[in-house]
Amino acid sequence: MIWKLSLTGIKSRFKDYAVLFSGLVVASMIFYMFLTITINPTFIKNDIVAPSNYVRFTFGFGIVLLVIITAIYLVYANSFLLSMRKHDYGMYMMLGAKSTKIGALIFLETLITGILATIVGILLGFGLTAIVSQLLISRLDLTVKHFAVVLPNAVIWTIIFFILIFLFGALKNVRKLTRTPVIELLRDDQKPVAYKRQPVLHWIQGTLGLVLLAVGYFILGLPGGAILFIIPAALVTIVAGSYFTFNAFFSALIGFLLNRRSFSYHGIRIFTLGQLKFRLHDYTRILTVVSLLFALALGAITVGLNFSTLSEQLKGNFYYDTTIISNSPKVMQAENKLTITRQQTFHYKEQGKYLYFNRSEFTNNPVKNVKFYMKNGQPAYKTIDLPTKKLDVPATYANNAFGAMVPNGIAKIIRLVSPEKWAAKTGQKKFVSFVNVKNFDQDYFTILKLQKQQLKENPAYADIYTSSKAGSYQLIKNFSSGFEFMGFFLGFAFLTMLASTLMFKVLSGAASDKVRYQMLFEIGTRVKILRQSIRNEIGVLFLLPGVLGVIDVLFGLRLFKLLLPHPYQNLWIPFTIFIVLYLIYYLLTVKLYEKIVLAHE
Amino acid sequence: MTEILRVDQVTKTYGKRGEKQCQALKGVNFAVNSGEFVAIMGASGSGKTTLLNILSTLDKPTTGNVFINHQDNSTLNANQLADFRSKQIGFIFQDFNLLENLTNRENIALPLSLRGISPRKIDPLVDKIATRLGIKEILPKYPAEVSGGQKQRVAAARALVHEPAILLADEPTGALDSKSARELLFTMADLNQNDDITTLMVTHDPFAASFASRILFIKDGKIGEQMLKKGQSRQEFYHLLIDHLDTDE
Repeated sequence: MIWKLSLTGIKSRFKDYAVLFSGLVVASMIFYMFLTITINPTFIKNDIVAPSNYVRFTFGFGIVLLVIITAIYLVYANSFLLSMRKHDYGMYMMLGAKSTKIGALIFLETLITGILATIVGILLGFGLTAIVSQLLISRLDLTVKHFAVVLPNAVIWTIIFFILIFLFGALKNVRKLTRTPVIELLRDDQKPVAYKRQPVLHWIQGTLGLVLLAVGYFILGLPGGAILFIIPAALVTIVAGSYFTFNAFFSALIGFLLNRRSFSYHGIRIFTLGQLKFRLHDYTRILTVVSLLFALALGAITVGLNFSTLSEQLKGNFYYDTTIISNSPKVMQAENKLTITRQQTFHYKEQGKYLYFNRSEFTNNPVKNVKFYMKNGQPAYKTIDLPTKKLDVPATYANNAFGAMVPNGIAKIIRLVSPEKWAAKTGQKKFVSFVNVKNFDQDYFTILKLQKQQLKENPAYADIYTSSKAGSYQLIKNFSSGFEFMGFFLGFAFLTMLASTLMFKVLSGAASDKVRYQMLFEIGTRVKILRQSIRNEIGVLFLLPGVLGVIDVLFGLRLFKLLLPHPYQNLWIPFTIFIVLYLIYYLLTVKLYEKIVLAHE
Repeated sequence: MTEILRVDQVTKTYGKRGEKQCQALKGVNFAVNSGEFVAIMGASGSGKTTLLNILSTLDKPTTGNVFINHQDNSTLNANQLADFRSKQIGFIFQDFNLLENLTNRENIALPLSLRGISPRKIDPLVDKIATRLGIKEILPKYPAEVSGGQKQRVAAARALVHEPAILLADEPTGALDSKSARELLFTMADLNQNDDITTLMVTHDPFAASFASRILFIKDGKIGEQMLKKGQSRQEFYHLLIDHLDTDE
């Protein structure tokens, strides 16, 4: 009988359940996708060109963060589930159902909802993983042969993780419900909320919050050497600062606005402010968590996307776009496709351990090079002419730089000789041609093809290949795309979960807010004004952690100055992505909330 | 005396055509004049709540019309109805319906603020009605911090602060102890007599109804007879009412 009751209970609240269920499905889907891509053996071992330990560490770190956010998310989703069913459970108990039986019912209901959602999530996760991995592979120009979309390990770990969390949640629900008196279960909506008025304490705590935040932001800007001090110190001050700011500063601010009658006595403002005042009190913890996760997520995307500036910056480190040492038909064919703007060709003869160059070819035609140096503690680059007379003087910068640009140039000894002497030299006649093209990005693939072909023809080209512009670019691009990808998806997973966490928190309170909106409607408030109040109230709840999170990121990026050339470059891209996604969640929450609280109208 | 409320041939049928229908109101007619204190009495299921919902414009009659201050409610759209309620009707509910996240002062100020009254004028108006109802001291408190009787006074102040044409009270003493109930009813009668507050109260409690000047009995969706207090004292009216109810059984 009780099962039948439970099923009808779920049926009658199917819409609310659908929201919860889809939220859980999305969570497990993203979790599975991330896990699969991260632990896919083909991916990690062979395909990403970077020290594999480093990649493993980064991705492992990503998973830890994902576990934390998923757990927090599930706790709030669970409390939403409980808030939906509380009244029903209370009713069964009033009708005489034993609390142990209700306990079992809650336990199974939570667990079954969770398991179903996890299974559906994993199934959908297969599809998502396939799409995302294809996108990733093509973005990285990887040649991945056996990327496993269905990875048994990932399936098992996702299930274990979600079941553990739901088991925990189910136990928590049982404990909470069986210990709550029946009357409270039934009439929780009408329970008065006690509000403590301590304005002075509030202002003190609020000021302390702002001061702690300021200290945290200041610490983030300290020189990078003290990184081991910076991270924990910033973490403590910013977490505590955010908490106090939400707990006291914002509510003090709202209290202040409420008491400014010329502001608050306008339309429904007084009600909206009153709602917010109580909300903030109740929301302190979640708003703190959301603001921090928001910062982490936005930070992850910003830093991830910013890694691409590494590869852009790298292009400036090379003067020549490629080097040609062969005139085979295949090479010529590729060469003809390039839009060459400048070409410097030098002939030489290879004899024993010497490479003899014709000095006359360097007259008024110096070899160019980009030199690296430190300027005010920041890396800097400038283009120089390698002095021709030093090209064959060992242990000079010119000699080393030039040697790296010629096949066998490091292993053998470079000599520049007069045209007459050069003519007299015997040995294999060769040439090296330094090329600049009009647009490196456009010719990048042709250059890669050209270089690969030359490598095939001449193993001595290997040194030049790896230190060439295209070779280095390829390497760093793979590396940075990995980060870009990680940052993006981690950020995305974070954002969806934190926004849904906030959404569930808001919706959990909707049932008790319904009475208030109904009353406002009855005393003659237009529905339009009620909607406006809802939009404003939820808007503030979304905006506050969002704004604090953005500020956290803006200061936090200073940490990355050591690693990235311009951490603040192209900031608008991640911010736009984020704001759009966040906005969608906000609108969804408003819609769902309206559906619950304005049901009568 | 001007007519404040006129209910004209109002019926209300629940259920769609072709399905099993239930007629909650079967042609209700009555009028309330300015300054009257009318009680509508009836048992559960008699159509009291349906009638009150229609009077308060929260529900629409199937046929018939309701005029408040000569305005026909059925001609108004949703927004106009909301505005109408906010101007012409004051509500007191059984369970107070105060917003517990606003102070008592803010609760009372809300209808004025919603009507767009200048913020400067709001606090003096709140103070005036609060003084009249003897709740000035508890204005800075939250509803949860005051007694049930005080809550209902705050609710009454909220209902009256914007000087509505009519006060609709739905079992206003239903959630109060007898002492608070008695105090509230005396206050309502006082407001009616001295401030000319037109009041329509729906109740099933003969004691509460005895404070009215006229009682309408609703039974099976129809207004049956009515009783007039005329020159009688409240106690006399109460006993008459009890006798009437006994014979009606």
